[in-house]
Amino acid sequence: MRPLLRYLKIIGGILRKDVQVEWRGRQGVPVMLVFTLLVVFLFNFTLQLSPDLQSSLAAGLLWVSLAFASTLGLNRSVSLERENRALDGLLLAPVDRSAIYFGKMLSNLLFTLLVALILLPVFSLFYSRNMLHPGLIGVILLGLSAYTSLGTLLAALSIQTRTRDVMLPVLLYPLALPILIAAAEATRGILEGNPTGALGSWLTFLGACVILFTAAGLVFFETILEE
Amino acid sequence: MSTEPAPNLPAIEARGLVKRFHFHPVLDDLAFTLQDGECCVLIGANGAGKTTLLRILAGLARPGAGQVLINGTPLYARPSSRAALGYISHQPMFYEDLTARENLRHYARLYFIQDPEPRIAQAVQSAGLENTQNQPVRTYSRGMQQRLSIERALLHDPQILLFDEPYTGLDQDAALQLDRRLDALHTPGRAILIAAHRPQRLLAVASHIAWLREGKIRRHLPTNALDSFPELQAYLQEAP
Repeated sequence: MRPLLRYLKIIGGILRKDVQVEWRGRQGVPVMLVFTLLVVFLFNFTLQLSPDLQSSLAAGLLWVSLAFASTLGLNRSVSLERENRALDGLLLAPVDRSAIYFGKMLSNLLFTLLVALILLPVFSLFYSRNMLHPGLIGVILLGLSAYTSLGTLLAALSIQTRTRDVMLPVLLYPLALPILIAAAEATRGILEGNPTGALGSWLTFLGACVILFTAAGLVFFETILEE
Repeated sequence: MSTEPAPNLPAIEARGLVKRFHFHPVLDDLAFTLQDGECCVLIGANGAGKTTLLRILAGLARPGAGQVLINGTPLYARPSSRAALGYISHQPMFYEDLTARENLRHYARLYFIQDPEPRIAQAVQSAGLENTQNQPVRTYSRGMQQRLSIERALLHDPQILLFDEPYTGLDQDAALQLDRRLDALHTPGRAILIAAHRPQRLLAVASHIAWLREGKIRRHLPTNALDSFPELQAYLQEAP
């Protein structure tokens, strides 16, 4: 079998396994979804914003909610591999270990996207904005790709620490701040018809983040997991 | 077997391995070879570095210095050389929400096993789990998980088997089953290394014994030569 095909098969195998575990256990996506909906409800009912303000804050609140959801998913993804040292089983596979990074990143992205797609109609309802915009779905895909490519790398780092459950958000949120700002600005640009003309720049920045953090995962993932 | 051993080369060769934890040397310029057909018990006190050595030989940990060769190929330079290895620890490495079959299918994909279903069926049968194969692994006893773990490691028919304290947590029946399985696995084309804190029951199965002490393999000899080493005999008698 060709090396590239073997590599892709491992990525596919890990993605398939994560989906299967999620389908059986239902311990990731439902928790992410409930938590995210609670955040949306809390923001909506505690801030009591005027409709104008609600509309302008919707982009930021959406991305804060998605960041929380994604971080929960990343923590779950790490704990799944930690139980029974299942990660060792992946590390023993006779293939470049960056394939594990891509497999885990894709499953994290898939689960967070699922939550985002359920969240968008709820946001439309609460924040008086049509959030089911094709352009917005593209921004979410790009923004979450950047966030999970960084998050998966840091989740692998946190797995080696004793305080792993709190370590991930502590490491991730400061480093992901530029991603969240760019994603919120791009979302605002889509929702408001690109009034500042900066939408292209924000999307380019997000694309660069995807490339940068994915390349970092490709290079550093094995080193991070080594004892 | 999946990987043909190279002629005249040890199945595993460790050269100058050094590993430190918090500046404390666990392995100190350790050298070790394991030949095909050899079933070697690795003994040593708690904390001597048996697990560390096995994890390095399996490619799960990287030494501070030195290298590991699998049939003459550097382990860390060629990921494909890990195909020759099967590793069994006291942690089963399973996903608890998946069934035995689903876990085995996952591992079959990781090792690119063509037409895996007959092998999976054989593995389930060898583990004696035909009646529970569709239950989540979390419902299994420690003995059932360990049997399945051994079959998981054998699924790709590795040339080299590394066992880390395989008797941990097993009851008497499960330990006897493991004795029989180890005996059956000890074949001329396969090299086996078993780390054991309590090695007595393994001496009947093993062809060799290696003594890890102060970061080095102090003795590595055939079990039938034990009489010539009173110091090692004394250690074995004192081992709990």
